[in-house]
Amino acid sequence: MFKKTLWLSLALALGMVLTAQAKEWKTVRIGTEGAYPPWNATDANGNLVGAEIDLGRELCKRMQVECTFVAQDWDGIIPALQQGKYDAIIAGMSITPERQEVINFSQGYMTDGASFITAKGSDLDSSSFPEKINLDRMSANEKAAIDRLVEVLDGKTIGVQSATIHANFVEKYLTGSTMRTYQTQDDLNLDMASGRIDAALADTGAFEEFLESDSGQSLTFAGPRMSGDVFGAGVGIGLRKSDTDLLGLFNKAIDSVRADGTLSRISNQWFGKDISM
Amino acid sequence: MEKLAFGPNGWGDEMLLAMLMTLAVSVCSLLLGTVIGTLLAWVKLSGPRVLRWLANGYTTLIRGVPELLIIYLLFFGGNGAVMFVASIFGHEGYIEVPAFAIGVVAVGLISGAYSTEVIRGAVQAVSKGQLEAAHAIGMPRMTLFSRVLVPQTARLALPGMGNVWQLTLKDTALISVTGLVELMRQAYVASGSERSPFLFYSTAAVLFLVLTSLSERGFVRAERWANRGASRT
Repeated sequence: MFKKTLWLSLALALGMVLTAQAKEWKTVRIGTEGAYPPWNATDANGNLVGAEIDLGRELCKRMQVECTFVAQDWDGIIPALQQGKYDAIIAGMSITPERQEVINFSQGYMTDGASFITAKGSDLDSSSFPEKINLDRMSANEKAAIDRLVEVLDGKTIGVQSATIHANFVEKYLTGSTMRTYQTQDDLNLDMASGRIDAALADTGAFEEFLESDSGQSLTFAGPRMSGDVFGAGVGIGLRKSDTDLLGLFNKAIDSVRADGTLSRISNQWFGKDISM
Repeated sequence: MEKLAFGPNGWGDEMLLAMLMTLAVSVCSLLLGTVIGTLLAWVKLSGPRVLRWLANGYTTLIRGVPELLIIYLLFFGGNGAVMFVASIFGHEGYIEVPAFAIGVVAVGLISGAYSTEVIRGAVQAVSKGQLEAAHAIGMPRMTLFSRVLVPQTARLALPGMGNVWQLTLKDTALISVTGLVELMRQAYVASGSERSPFLFYSTAAVLFLVLTSLSERGFVRAERWANRGASRT
């Protein structure tokens, strides 16, 4: 009996020593899919490439840890994190409430965001705004910009697709504007082109093609590219719930790559535009 | 087509390597499955009652649930089990069980369940009169086993095992979920990265067909060889 207890306590003590060592984070293993360009993909030599591979390396450099990437099939990507096959998921994973029930997320680092389009030369087009605003993390300057946006659009008619996050935004922020809802993005685009509404709000990517087309020639993007709050928290790094220290490290590193423009540079390099947030 | 080139700019060499990986997993799984099948066929035919129940349970369970489910169970559950056992001995942290080993065990277990029934049927098909004759002339048990039973069982099991081989070969596609770079996973990664799914999935289909049709010819030859002494009608 005594022997058994002795062994058990020895095992426990050893276990504690090992766990304590593991928490210093000298190396971080990052799981990714490797088949989702330009976020993360594999080149013909079998090397992982993409915006998130560059981002991951940069974050690790700033966290002063050594990084290794592990390719994992998307279907098993969260279970394998929880098992400990790797310590973080950087795989174009959107932060959603369902996923947040099982894993933690860092702050969002990229999202396409939502944008307004309007007729060239309209009030909205002629006022100046910051390029992008994360509604979850606004500086005084950006708060003022949103107030200005509300003011410019006061009394105007805004078109959105019905039952979307964009409709939620108009309802929550643009209380002085009239909202007109459409069943499809195409209907929205058509009414915008014919001038029946003053501005349209949707995912930035949803407007890009339309603005290039013939009927979109008189229109332009205006106002800030928005993310956060009703628009969702974007794409973040998935982490085990227990690794709160690693979460802190990643959040700090993301702050740092955002502040010095590295995040925008990586985005421009891989996406041809800035989708950092 | 240049996407399939060999060398640093094409996926040809990667696809070929992945095909070899598929072949390696299949061969190891079939070997494991044959060992399991032989043991369990023996248990089912003349083992103690408790073992017989267990063997019946195994074949019913494995043949009755989807293969993908077994692979998920082993991949996520198996790793957890290994770590749990290790944690009892005081080892904390992650232990990587190689995806290759998990794949072979998973597909081998599936293949074993089917082989069991094939081998059991083949043993039962060996004419009883021959065994009785061997007993009558006083042949020792081991000689009876190696000279009479095994050669004839092998001959009779060969067509059925050919079927099991083809199933096993295709089941390996399912272990792509573990991240092991076999043919299916490589085709998925390449088609996603190059954005040309049709090209890479059809290439994978052709490579699978190469494997199955070549091995089919091998089995036909083996059957002809094994049947060389048997009566033709």
